[in-house]
Amino acid sequence: MTFRQARWDEPPIWELSASAPTGRAPSISGVPDRWTRKEALRWPELSELEVLRHYTRLSQMNFGIETVTYPLGSCTMKYNPRVSEVIARRKTATELHPEQPVETVQGALEIIWRLERMLSRITGMPEISLQPAAGAHGEYSALLMIRAYFRDKGELGQRTEVLLPDTAHGTNPASATMAGFTTRELPSKSGCVDVDALRAAVSDTTACFMLTNPNTAGLFESDILEIAETVHRAGGMLYYDGANLNAILGITHPGKMGFDVAHLNLHKTFATPHGGGGPGAGVLAANATLAPYLPIPRVVKSGRKFRLDYDRPKSIGKVRSGPGNFGLDLRAFVFALIHGEEGLTHVARRAVLNSNYVAARLGKRLPRPFRPLVKHEFLLSGEPLLSRGVRTLDLAKRLLDEGVHAPTVYFPTIVPEALMVELPETESRRALDEYVAAFERALDDTDEHLRAAPTATSVSRIDEVECARHPLLSWKDLRADGLPPGGASDGRKP
Amino acid sequence: MVRWIPDSQRDEEEMLRAIGLTTSDELYSDVPRKARIGRLGIGTAQEEGEAVRAVDKILDRNRPFSRFANFLGGRFATRYFPAAVDSILQRSEFYTSYTPYQAEASQGMLQALFEFQSLWVELTGLDVANASLYDGATASGEALLLARRVHEGRRFLVPASLPWEERSVLSNYATGPGLTVVEIPFEERTGLIDLGRIAEEVRTGDVFGVLADVPNGFGHLDDHLFELRSTVGDLPLIVRADPLALTVLEPPAHYGADIVVGEGQSFGIPPSYGGPGVGLFACRKDFVRLSPGRIVGATHDKDGRRAYALTLQTREQHIRRSRATSNICTNESLIALAFVVYASVVGPRGLAELQRGLAERARTIASALAGLDGLRSPRFEAPYLSDFTIELTRGTASEFLERLRKRGVLGGVPLRDPRPGAPDQPERILVSATETVDDKAIAKLVSAASSALASTGGSK
Ligand SMILES: Cc1ncc(COP(=O)(O)O)c(C=O)c1O
Repeated sequence: MTFRQARWDEPPIWELSASAPTGRAPSISGVPDRWTRKEALRWPELSELEVLRHYTRLSQMNFGIETVTYPLGSCTMKYNPRVSEVIARRKTATELHPEQPVETVQGALEIIWRLERMLSRITGMPEISLQPAAGAHGEYSALLMIRAYFRDKGELGQRTEVLLPDTAHGTNPASATMAGFTTRELPSKSGCVDVDALRAAVSDTTACFMLTNPNTAGLFESDILEIAETVHRAGGMLYYDGANLNAILGITHPGKMGFDVAHLNLHKTFATPHGGGGPGAGVLAANATLAPYLPIPRVVKSGRKFRLDYDRPKSIGKVRSGPGNFGLDLRAFVFALIHGEEGLTHVARRAVLNSNYVAARLGKRLPRPFRPLVKHEFLLSGEPLLSRGVRTLDLAKRLLDEGVHAPTVYFPTIVPEALMVELPETESRRALDEYVAAFERALDDTDEHLRAAPTATSVSRIDEVECARHPLLSWKDLRADGLPPGGASDGRKP
Repeated sequence: MVRWIPDSQRDEEEMLRAIGLTTSDELYSDVPRKARIGRLGIGTAQEEGEAVRAVDKILDRNRPFSRFANFLGGRFATRYFPAAVDSILQRSEFYTSYTPYQAEASQGMLQALFEFQSLWVELTGLDVANASLYDGATASGEALLLARRVHEGRRFLVPASLPWEERSVLSNYATGPGLTVVEIPFEERTGLIDLGRIAEEVRTGDVFGVLADVPNGFGHLDDHLFELRSTVGDLPLIVRADPLALTVLEPPAHYGADIVVGEGQSFGIPPSYGGPGVGLFACRKDFVRLSPGRIVGATHDKDGRRAYALTLQTREQHIRRSRATSNICTNESLIALAFVVYASVVGPRGLAELQRGLAERARTIASALAGLDGLRSPRFEAPYLSDFTIELTRGTASEFLERLRKRGVLGGVPLRDPRPGAPDQPERILVSATETVDDKAIAKLVSAASSALASTGGSK
């Protein structure tokens, strides 16, 4: 193992300069004195190079896809094409204000319209809105649409419950609560929806069943058509969490599976960069029943011209201030255009192949719950390590020392000590083999090394429990806490 | 064959064989026949160069605001940003990384987010900021929900001057828990919030929170804000503030704000037709465990080195699920990074000077327009910074702006609810000063406006 992450003793930016303005902010004619800042903003004065050096050093203490394999399950950490970055930075894309007259943004509207048409075909759902900012925001918007639909039907008072499998991503139940529903999680059977349990659970109080397929155990819900029928027979809506769409592009789609409404994460399947946690771009896809409830404005084409349509009386209105994360939509459009039909289908097949290839090999070392054939991701259980006094967390940290990112850990919760591994289509066979080798070296390391990991990263193991117990959340807190200034290390033990 | 998928067909065949399969169809043996689809019909693959040409051809149908005398602004800034900001955003270690779940391998982003939080704390005067929300409007929505968690009631007060999009977003956030957003009218002459009405609403009861904005939807500074705290008693007071304005204005915590939200796009990234931006969110320390979003904390590694990690996660969806304080997962980290890099490159003095300069320019624009017959500039008698509102006394804002556009001027943001059935609205336009507005641009605006008004007969 030869990997070592950069280890800069890089202090917080305010420690880089003693020079900060003091006294009052400049006064502005016509602005009464009571408004003027009496103490200037407390922030360091630095040269451009000092700022650049600071953030460049910080960047060197951060894993990214162009440096390491990043197999976070459910996150679809694939290569973010450079060409999309270049296109998204064109002045003809960035220097557009959402309130510009439509005549001056015909290109943007056309991109949105064409991407919507493409996504409509990919999802098998007639209508698309690109307004939500991320997946969870799409879930929330869709649930508001469902709410409005049942209100119009006079069933809102009765349809108060959202059902989900216990493997559902945390955003699903959280979105349901925010949209005013109660939630009930149904126990899975062998990692999939237990259709009998679902039949017993649905009723005229069911507003919606939320499902991702393939699910977060990496399994395709083969009973999907019966699931759809069960939910529909009870008068409920079937919601598709599209976070895992990468596995099924061109094979099946939410429309064919019987879903009524869906969200997609363009920052997963369509390769827009995750940005260290965002921005993303959520997409709403709706069937004909729910389409009238999509957020406004809708982009419509009349003749050769595109315009914004606000005349949707049933629409839930706006879910954020702009029309969407256009910068991300454009990147996704470039991705889909270059791949085309064959490419997108290849994306899915290769992602699933990668996942099964690595699952078969790592399955020899750690137990794999449920059936062997998986889709874009797979689960392992770190439970056998417990007898060595080692946890999944230790294994994850030890993997960092190999110069690879760890899988998602401790999710879904139906598997003890879970590791959720996703290796998207852009990982080469060589990268997969190296990942397996790294994983095996980590497993074969001594218990002490595992517990002491990581040692090759810019800092060693962080006690996150301690961090939450004594929260220091800003410079202001650090000042109050009396941490000595200067230097990265003050020698204080946690 | 797209180069983004590595290896040859032979490699793939070998990989299939290694797992005991012969064709990639067998990977999908668990997908029922009846759920299979045929062709998608989205077209065939394009070479990178071909796709770039095709997309550029579409994009060329846009007319970027930099090609006009541009007075657009308000909730989306069209300002200039130093090139250094984007050069940091293009570090792949930042832009291609995920949420920093593995803290030890992600110190760079974590520290940058800690600095971002610190900057919003300094700007607002509050105690705690989170690591970003989607945008300014959703940050207001989350603030509404937080207010409801700390105070009983069903009614939430907002100024009627708030842009319609934001009222719509707030109404959506209010829908789930069955809450109501109530619009407080403004004084006709000043556009300032009707304090008497707020006092009355608070007395009648059932109010759980109040939102005010700095500057308000008309671009003005609402002097009544200084009286708001004493008017609303112990109700949570939310201020939605513009970050650049806060470099010269009193921090909202000083006049009693409990939560301060904002849109941060104006610090470092162009508007890109409305997104991405970044939602700014800060609150009092005693609200933090009920607050939404990811938060980075400072701590130490086991060797005593300073380190950072995501913290207070028991509030969040991945742990608390249906009882989480918010559903947010993916946020706007990269734009939060842009925010703190921008502020650091320009520096605190530079920012305050920039705001002062833009305010001076806005005054020049306002008085240049004031001489024209057919509009009032500024419409409201109240202090302002870079933005102010004009009102046409004849013709419609959309015709007026269209005439301006034909003469190479983007005159501003029409302040109207475009939904059919919206109540009759005065013809108001929000006009903004940016770095690119020079004397020539102002002269162009005035001449385009005067000829537009001249060709509009009769009064409205
Ligand atoms: C299965 C699943 N559903 C929903 C989400 C939420 O998406 P986002 O992070 O874009 O809000 C995620 C991603 O984290 C996910 O993996």
